[in-house]
Amino acid sequence: MAKFVLMLPHAPNRYNNIGEGEFMDLMKDYIGWVEEMSAAGKYASGEKLLAEGGKIVTNRSGSIEVHDGPFAEVAEILGGYMVINAEDYDEAVEIARSHPHMKHNETIIIRQTDPAADD
Amino acid sequence: MSIASDIHKLLDETVRRERGWLISSLVSRLGPGKVELAEDVAQDAIVKALATWPYKGVPDNPRAWLRRVAGNAAIDRIRRSARELGIEDDWDFASPESDVITPSLSDPELDLMVLCCDPALSAQDQLFLALKTVCGFTAAETAALFFLKEDTLSQRLARAKRQLRSQSGELARFPTRFALKDRLPQLLKMIYLMFAWGYLPRRGEVLFREDVCREAIRLSESLLAQTDGQTAGHHALHALLLFQAARLPARLSVDGRLLTLEQQDRSKWDQARVFDGFAQLQAAQSSPALTRYHLEAGIASIHARAPSWARTDWASIVRFYTLLDQQAPSLAVSINLAVSQVYAGARDHAETELQKAEAFPGAQDLPGYHLARAKLFEARGNLPKAHEALRRAAKCRTSTPVGEHIARQAELIDAEL
Repeated sequence: MAKFVLMLPHAPNRYNNIGEGEFMDLMKDYIGWVEEMSAAGKYASGEKLLAEGGKIVTNRSGSIEVHDGPFAEVAEILGGYMVINAEDYDEAVEIARSHPHMKHNETIIIRQTDPAADD
Repeated sequence: MSIASDIHKLLDETVRRERGWLISSLVSRLGPGKVELAEDVAQDAIVKALATWPYKGVPDNPRAWLRRVAGNAAIDRIRRSARELGIEDDWDFASPESDVITPSLSDPELDLMVLCCDPALSAQDQLFLALKTVCGFTAAETAALFFLKEDTLSQRLARAKRQLRSQSGELARFPTRFALKDRLPQLLKMIYLMFAWGYLPRRGEVLFREDVCREAIRLSESLLAQTDGQTAGHHALHALLLFQAARLPARLSVDGRLLTLEQQDRSKWDQARVFDGFAQLQAAQSSPALTRYHLEAGIASIHARAPSWARTDWASIVRFYTLLDQQAPSLAVSINLAVSQVYAGARDHAETELQKAEAFPGAQDLPGYHLARAKLFEARGNLPKAHEALRRAAKCRTSTPVGEHIARQAELIDAEL
């Protein structure tokens, strides 16, 4: 079984002015999905990324510089990622289709991990 | 049940319960004037904590986890901005883990409930405030419980909180033991109403909210432990709650349909609760007082004692309801008296009683009123009229399982017509 990373981006202001009821409904959808996938042996792990903060370290100018987030100018920020188990990209895409992120946001980016690293 | 619906239920119950606990703990530390702040902080903390569950899954002990993580987040937020929040700088955060997170010997939820029972507030506002803060219901849920618009409820809550804040003197501290005794009747009423809403929410998808019923029983227990001069009425109320709660496991069929008292499998009643109920009823007879809780507990005890539906002592139930009708007349009592009169064979009395019920405002909007009329018509063999009454009942607003139950009743009569 191969591992795939689902990256879950969302608009920077997506969760800023959201009502309590709406937030709870979102949570229920996401948590329910994760629990179902875990029960089916498809969910491996995941991390939520903090919305605030963030740093960029760059040597573009010749020496190392550190810049602060947030990245207000970007269209989307990465909310978090999940690692799932799937046979191939077809199955990974099927799993992504059922993801509540497709109902509540716009995009999921899927990348397979290099299986050689596990050997 | 699917995993998703289990998750919904778990989240609703856990969040509601822990929000109430967190608000109560924070108010007990911040002071009675800071109910609103405590609510905000608790909500923020819970949202922050919950946001990780979609990635990590639900923790093994969600309640303990939420209590710990949201509790720490709340303390952090207050510590960071004590001055800005208008809190004394000398608020001691020395050992927050043991301070706020571990419940103290005294019960912070009960403290907050006593605070909500402020005589300056109307009885209904007291209840709104307690449901919202002590029980952790959201404004939307509380509004739904009382058939109010959310805006209306929020305005009333804001006014009530303002009033609490403006109180000084006695209320600068938490109500004392003396106040607790003073407010006992109102506290009992609040526990009674809280339980009633859990037992029959009258709206929404579920027939009952067992977590709310359990919470009412817990608060009642905690209150019993704190009042040494326990009143007989409180024991009677506690008996009533236990008898009613004992029937919860039998109220739904396997496929989620409402089962009436007549249809229930009595072996599913929680015998431990029935047993405790009778012990409380015994304690309630320690004084000659005869409160409405005595009468209601008496009625519940007759059902608890009856070996079967057919062998129910309806004559005694009619007697209790008649006394209740004299002591605390209400639409619900009138309706229940009429129904018990139908079962006891006193149909003419039932008809008179239903005419009395009709005079109460709101009777036409209550499904129970039309169901009682249907019952009487059916007993008299007047099926067309019974069917019409059921159709009226079906038009009333109620919870989904009750609505479906009414529809099934109507179908049954339809088949006989």
